[in-house]
Amino acid sequence: MRKALFYVPLVAFLALSLFLLSGLFSDPRDHGSALIKKPLPAFSLPDLQQPARLVTTADLKGEVTLLNVWGLWCPTCNAELGFLTELRQQGVRIVGLYYVQPVDASFGDTFDINQLRLDVQDKLAEQGDPYLMNIVDEKRSLIFDLGVTGAPETFLIDRNGVIRHHHVGDINPQNWPKIQQLYQQLQQGASDAP
Amino acid sequence: MRLKLLCLPALLLMLQAGATEDLLQFESAEQQQLYRQLTAELRCPKCQNQNIADSNAVVAVDMRNKTLELVRQGQSHDEVIDYMKQRYGDFVHYQPPFQLSTVWLWLLPLLAVLTLGFTVFRRSKASLTPAGDDSAEPEDLSDVAAQLQAMIDEASAKARHKPEE
Repeated sequence: MRKALFYVPLVAFLALSLFLLSGLFSDPRDHGSALIKKPLPAFSLPDLQQPARLVTTADLKGEVTLLNVWGLWCPTCNAELGFLTELRQQGVRIVGLYYVQPVDASFGDTFDINQLRLDVQDKLAEQGDPYLMNIVDEKRSLIFDLGVTGAPETFLIDRNGVIRHHHVGDINPQNWPKIQQLYQQLQQGASDAP
Repeated sequence: MRLKLLCLPALLLMLQAGATEDLLQFESAEQQQLYRQLTAELRCPKCQNQNIADSNAVVAVDMRNKTLELVRQGQSHDEVIDYMKQRYGDFVHYQPPFQLSTVWLWLLPLLAVLTLGFTVFRRSKASLTPAGDDSAEPEDLSDVAAQLQAMIDEASAKARHKPEE
């Protein structure tokens, strides 16, 4: 009994060390999402191509969709465009949610959706266009309701408009297989249902 | 002239520092207090270990604005926290909820204190009981005495040999 007690501090120390060691390999950005299995929040935001047309939740339903939060100001998003375009060519439905950074009115900055459309067109012509359409979230209201912390982030949304996966960071050939598995499961699962 | 120009940037900096919180208008001192408390308790989901009052990341600024909006609407502390948790998860509040996955946060310190207290209690009890000491010491002492006797014997044996060399 006494001998066993003698080893208690050593065991406790090793357990603590292992716990802290595992922390070194964890991703600090990964703290789950509160919206998994929740329906997409209601929204009504302009389409970048036709600002007069308002996109709503209904436009995203019907097919499994990747909702990709991105912006021209974000270098990782621009690097991701090429791979996302490949995915579109494979038949993946990708909708862009354009993250508009705050403009500082005190510096005379204003937000101009027409200028943004031209800039986006240039960029997509150069890097590839993965998007079926782009939703412009000027006030970041949908972005806030989705719990987006930055860009790029991507949501996997099923046919019924329910959020199934929230990916923080870029999508690349290394991490795509894992998301693809979910994507295919959703496509098969939904086609079985009436 | 040159000195005046040199002073200008410093003057601008001072203006900015004084202006930040004065811009926010509150209906009452309670609301202002609540806003301060909430922005200190809510954690920036983008930055590592900063609350939203402390961070100027876009998401932290948006959360501050939303907090201000909700506080002005008259929402309570818990309502605002729930609103943020529904979007950014439990991570966003510095006070973790009590549930199965977090139960160790309360249980471990309690266990540690109990174990240490028990150990200290047992030790002090053992050192206070004379019977325990008495039974242990004679054995130890007789052991030591035997060893000492052996050393003395050896030394005296050597001493007896030495003069002959």
